[in-house]
Amino acid sequence: MEILVEESNVQRVDAPVTICGDIHGQFYDMKELFKVGGDCPKTNYLFLGDFVDRGFYSVETFLLLLALKVRYPDRITLIRGNHESRQITQVYGFYDECLRKYGSVNVWRYCTDIFDYLSLSALIENKIFSVHGGLSPNITTLDQIRTIDRKQEVPHDGAMCDLLWSDPEDVVDGWGLSPRGAGFLFGGNIVSSFNRSNNIDYICRAHQLVMEGYKWMFNNQIVTVWSAPNYCYRCGNVAAILELDENLNKQFRVFDAAPQEARGVPSKKPAPDYFL
Amino acid sequence: MDSGLGAEKDLNDAAAGALPDGRRGIRIKGWEIESCKRPILGSLATRENRAPAYQTPLDGLRQRQIEDQSKTWLVHGWEEKLGTSHLPEMIFGESSLNLLHMESGIRIHFNAFDALKGWKQEPLPPVEVIAAAKWKFRSKPIQQIILDYDYTFTTPYCGSEAIEVKHEKLNLNDMRRSLNWEDCHQRINLAALSSNEPILFYDEIILYEDELADNGISLLTVKVRVMPSSWFLLLRFWLRVDGVLMRLRDTRIYCSFSGYNGSQPVLLRESCWREATIQSFIVQGLPADSRDYHDPNGISQMLPITAQKIQRLKISS
Repeated sequence: MEILVEESNVQRVDAPVTICGDIHGQFYDMKELFKVGGDCPKTNYLFLGDFVDRGFYSVETFLLLLALKVRYPDRITLIRGNHESRQITQVYGFYDECLRKYGSVNVWRYCTDIFDYLSLSALIENKIFSVHGGLSPNITTLDQIRTIDRKQEVPHDGAMCDLLWSDPEDVVDGWGLSPRGAGFLFGGNIVSSFNRSNNIDYICRAHQLVMEGYKWMFNNQIVTVWSAPNYCYRCGNVAAILELDENLNKQFRVFDAAPQEARGVPSKKPAPDYFL
Repeated sequence: MDSGLGAEKDLNDAAAGALPDGRRGIRIKGWEIESCKRPILGSLATRENRAPAYQTPLDGLRQRQIEDQSKTWLVHGWEEKLGTSHLPEMIFGESSLNLLHMESGIRIHFNAFDALKGWKQEPLPPVEVIAAAKWKFRSKPIQQIILDYDYTFTTPYCGSEAIEVKHEKLNLNDMRRSLNWEDCHQRINLAALSSNEPILFYDEIILYEDELADNGISLLTVKVRVMPSSWFLLLRFWLRVDGVLMRLRDTRIYCSFSGYNGSQPVLLRESCWREATIQSFIVQGLPADSRDYHDPNGISQMLPITAQKIQRLKISS
């Protein structure tokens, strides 16, 4: 906690660095990720949040990342995703997993307390802005992010909420409001003007499943990186990580889910049931 | 790999067998029942941007599979055909369930594309999430578009049907035949389905799924089980908008191998739509937490019925 509290809302990261998207409790697939990307601390890592929920091993996933952070604070950066929240984890798996594995919710409580200290974004060599979700109409400069008081549960609205929740969207020019009545969508011109005014090459974000592991939008001004292969153990997608060398040259590494035998759990085959 | 088939002795006793050529499914009493499970549809964008110095730890075969998928399973083609750029996050577009009665050519099948056509044709008003109330008071950007498609992907889809015409026997009468579901009073024999007959083939296929951007779940699945005396399937659309509402649209189809109408099998179909707001649950003293509503099986009886249909399949010529 002492390490995390010192970090800025826009944490500075040096290249070379390897950027990873959502993991969602797929612990064995994250071990596959480290095989592909190299071990920490040899490789410098930036994880863009959503460590927990949905997969079977949220506890193991987050605790391993946290242990690496404690041991090598300068070689791994963890920023917050929208799932690093008390409310979301109570619905999408992490809370139930802790209760099932420990018989109490203490581990969940400690972890969610740590979530409040996670940084909100990262800036690589002053050129690549990294965030879990996307942009906010309340934010035009990085300094505005720096002034957010982040040590709290993810709010339902406002700048901090948008950074963790919003999505780029092809069909809007400017800002769009989701049909859900909450959640911003931003178009290509919003990204252009943000990148221009902050002197940024492109934005790197996660938050949305992409079948091929990564996806560029708006003329290479923003890229989505997704690092949970065979998402929810059934989608059949590949995952990717983005490696940047010391000159910020890009290399995507695409990988598959860990083989079944490496998981130590029986496969989830549908058991015949007398449904009515 | 798990084939979904039951014990060999049970299959033999019922004169049933696996489908040839490694296809997943069963051949029984004049029916061919086949399921197909494939990965989600991919998007086009990455292919254009794939770096020339592309390096991958994937082996060549797997790489080619992914490339092929990207070529043929493009979401973009679906967007054009359906006239929308908003589709579920996970479309199992090449997954399907097919039930073919070989003698009559009756084919019942289930696929995501037809289901999404149904979604497009039933424009429901948007459902606001809990946070929307707060957002109404938020200062809005000057230039803002409000999207208003039905992001829940609720569909009236009850399955697709067709008559498969055999080429060698093609005649004008075959061409004129068509299938219709007409209302009837004959219910599906649930007692017969509750008996402990062995299950000879079982599968569950997801057609599409969306996480509603972490505001709940929208899920369309079809489950099938084949017994010595009959087959039975359940197509289920399940929607939960966290803290707001739950919607369940079930379609059950039953076919007994003993009940024939001439040479045609008798197919019964029951559709049941249910829906409740969480607010109505709270009023009844039931929990409001989404955590309590993960499994639609456990709560379906608690949801009031909003529509119901009992039908049988008719071939008209």
